[in-house]
Amino acid sequence: MPRPGYWTVFVDLSSGEVTREPVETQANQDLLGGCGVGWKLAADHLLARADPLSPDNKIIINPGLLVGTLTPGTPKTTSITKYPTYASDDERFYVGASTVGGRYFGVALNRAGCQHLVISGKAPSPVYLRIRDEKIELVDAEDLWGRGIEEVTNELVREEGPETGVMVIGTAGENLVRNALSIVDKTNSLGRGGLGAVMGSKNLKAIAVNGSGDVEVENPEAFFNFSQELRERVYQWPKRDHWIKLGLAAGWDTFKHTQYPGIWPKSEWDELYGEKTRLATVEEVIACNSCILSCRLKWKIKGGEYDGEVGYGSPFSKSATSGMLLGVKDFRKMIHIVADANSNSGMDFYTTTRIIDFATKMYEMGRLGKEDTGGLKLRRDYDTYLKLYQMMIKREGFGDVLADGWHRLKKEFGLDPQEYWYAGICKGMDFIYDARPSNFHPLMMSFFTRTRPHHGGSHTRTNSRNKTMEEIREQVEAWGLPQEVIDRIFTEAPYCGSFNVGRYTKHMEDMMRVKNSLGLCSIYSYQGLIFGHDMARLYNAATGESLTADELIKCGERISNFAKLVNVREGFSREDDKVPELWFRPMDTPEGRIEMHDYFNTKVITKEDAGKMLDDYYQERGWDVRTGTPTPEKLKELGLEKYSSKQNQTALA
Amino acid sequence: MRIEGIVIIPSMCRGCRSCQLACSYVRHGVFNPAKSVIVMDREVETDHTVPVILPLSCDLCGGNPACLRACPYGAIVANTEHTSYKILVQT
Ligand code: SF4
Ligand code: SF4
Ligand code: SF4
Repeated sequence: MPRPGYWTVFVDLSSGEVTREPVETQANQDLLGGCGVGWKLAADHLLARADPLSPDNKIIINPGLLVGTLTPGTPKTTSITKYPTYASDDERFYVGASTVGGRYFGVALNRAGCQHLVISGKAPSPVYLRIRDEKIELVDAEDLWGRGIEEVTNELVREEGPETGVMVIGTAGENLVRNALSIVDKTNSLGRGGLGAVMGSKNLKAIAVNGSGDVEVENPEAFFNFSQELRERVYQWPKRDHWIKLGLAAGWDTFKHTQYPGIWPKSEWDELYGEKTRLATVEEVIACNSCILSCRLKWKIKGGEYDGEVGYGSPFSKSATSGMLLGVKDFRKMIHIVADANSNSGMDFYTTTRIIDFATKMYEMGRLGKEDTGGLKLRRDYDTYLKLYQMMIKREGFGDVLADGWHRLKKEFGLDPQEYWYAGICKGMDFIYDARPSNFHPLMMSFFTRTRPHHGGSHTRTNSRNKTMEEIREQVEAWGLPQEVIDRIFTEAPYCGSFNVGRYTKHMEDMMRVKNSLGLCSIYSYQGLIFGHDMARLYNAATGESLTADELIKCGERISNFAKLVNVREGFSREDDKVPELWFRPMDTPEGRIEMHDYFNTKVITKEDAGKMLDDYYQERGWDVRTGTPTPEKLKELGLEKYSSKQNQTALA
Repeated sequence: MRIEGIVIIPSMCRGCRSCQLACSYVRHGVFNPAKSVIVMDREVETDHTVPVILPLSCDLCGGNPACLRACPYGAIVANTEHTSYKILVQT
């Protein structure tokens, strides 16, 4: 919000110097504050082609504009950095934004007047960053280094006080495991692709924030009243009771179809990992700040060798898919790994378990041998999985190879990650969903059109199955797009079914940028509860502006272009926005053959179809369809021409 | 109906802090938990939270408690029986 005390704080870990600059009002108006301004900071301050694990990389943290207000579900903070996951054979790295909720962290940053935090350099020895309003300093963290996430979070909260927001890494981040995450306020994970390793490379163990200031809005009465109206609307949602009972443990009925890895019959999966196991394990459902839905879980393992183990976050969906992939029938054993990853090491459970699945299978097939693994037999059993998990965290022996991710398996052993059998890989990252059981809907497309190949923040109605055309259309109309755009989206195209997936995806992504800038959790848009018009009303009441929903989405488009530009500088183009090969291969399962279909299951999507959808996407973006990059005309239209010049690109290179 | 007393049900609290934000808004027109008359008791190990309303500063919003209206999870409810107590905590 253009208000006094709205700052960008620069922290140089190498020198320990902290400086602050007021954010220009213009940047706020054009980019909606939050991650929008964050992307501008990335364009201005990130060095092109810098090694992500070197002091040259930066972490740019941006609490959403509305974080700390009473608007339902606005806790999100966005973190932008260059991620250390190898994104291509020639070892390029993408710059991406990841978002996180939480109860304390984002709110504390906004209250401390720290709307953008740009962290650069590398501390000579382990530190944590302590923010107490304007007092920002580096504190020695030798005693925290090597310790687990939950333990360190508790210690920092005890030391810094009960309002403290904490973002922390575990040993995976310290050891520069390329998939390592950061964990915020114990319950929320941040930065798939390796933000944790970037923090580790900077000797930055944690950020502990306290702020005492107000979160003010320009027109308090209008803002408060409309927030109340939105709350009433969410209370009326018929599924709310079920949702607040189970949080992220809800939805097995959808999940078991959309994320089916195709090895066991669904009935067996139901029995081993279904609703029953979830109900038996959930202890508490936790809400992020101002959230009236709540989805974060606190859970406890009952029975078995891990009896009594408690964890935070959401263990169910990930343990169910990886459990089937690895053939582990006791869900408690998989949840035990989730618990360790979230509360202790900070490993990314998805990538870790899938790489383990791939490596052990390759060993079984004789494509990896004892000579490759340092003498270790890679058996397909739980004990081996646990051992590999620990070896990855410590980068011990063969674990060092796996800690570098898919790319290193290819480089050293010629094992192409595109051969992996579930979900697919793009820009070096394994996806969470597979488009064959899920169908090829807009979220699937945004996995490879987005700069960082991850779905976070993009959820809309089409991620769920069996929505009607009317429902999908109503939602897009409520986003507030102009009629001619809506007509384009809903013009039938033979290659993608009843609506145009490429064009839908473009606007969905721009909406996501708006949500991230404001700090709105995408569960609210996923469930069809808060739309573009609503966000415009909130934004206007908060800032005193008078933007229409369409204008707001235009700002979202500007942010998307900023994100792309930063990545063009890193050498990314249409070549990299590739649909995973795997999706075109049918999946043979005990339930029959599954091929990739359109959303309404009317046709099988071919490579040619997917290419046409990608053409549509770039065309809708007004980008060069051949290169998949922003054109000078588009940049001019968005007022970003300065960033298109060759000079800017080489100056930064 | 005028509400004469509040009951806090600690086990229902999910830590969303809507109560604090609503309280600071009705009292000061800003969002700031520190300007509400509710202190959030955060149990560090379990991460459970319980709102503690400061009875001397709370005026029950003149009979229409904003915190109660804002609580999405039924952790702050109206006291319909013990009207002589302004704030009760269910144990
Ligand atoms: S729905 Fe879940 S992630 Fe989103 S704000 Fe609520 S608790 Fe946080
Ligand atoms: S009833 Fe008391 S605690 Fe609740 S909002 Fe009003 S003044 Fe604040
Ligand atoms: S009392 Fe209600 S409003 Fe306050 S934090 Fe707990 S759940 Fe949220």
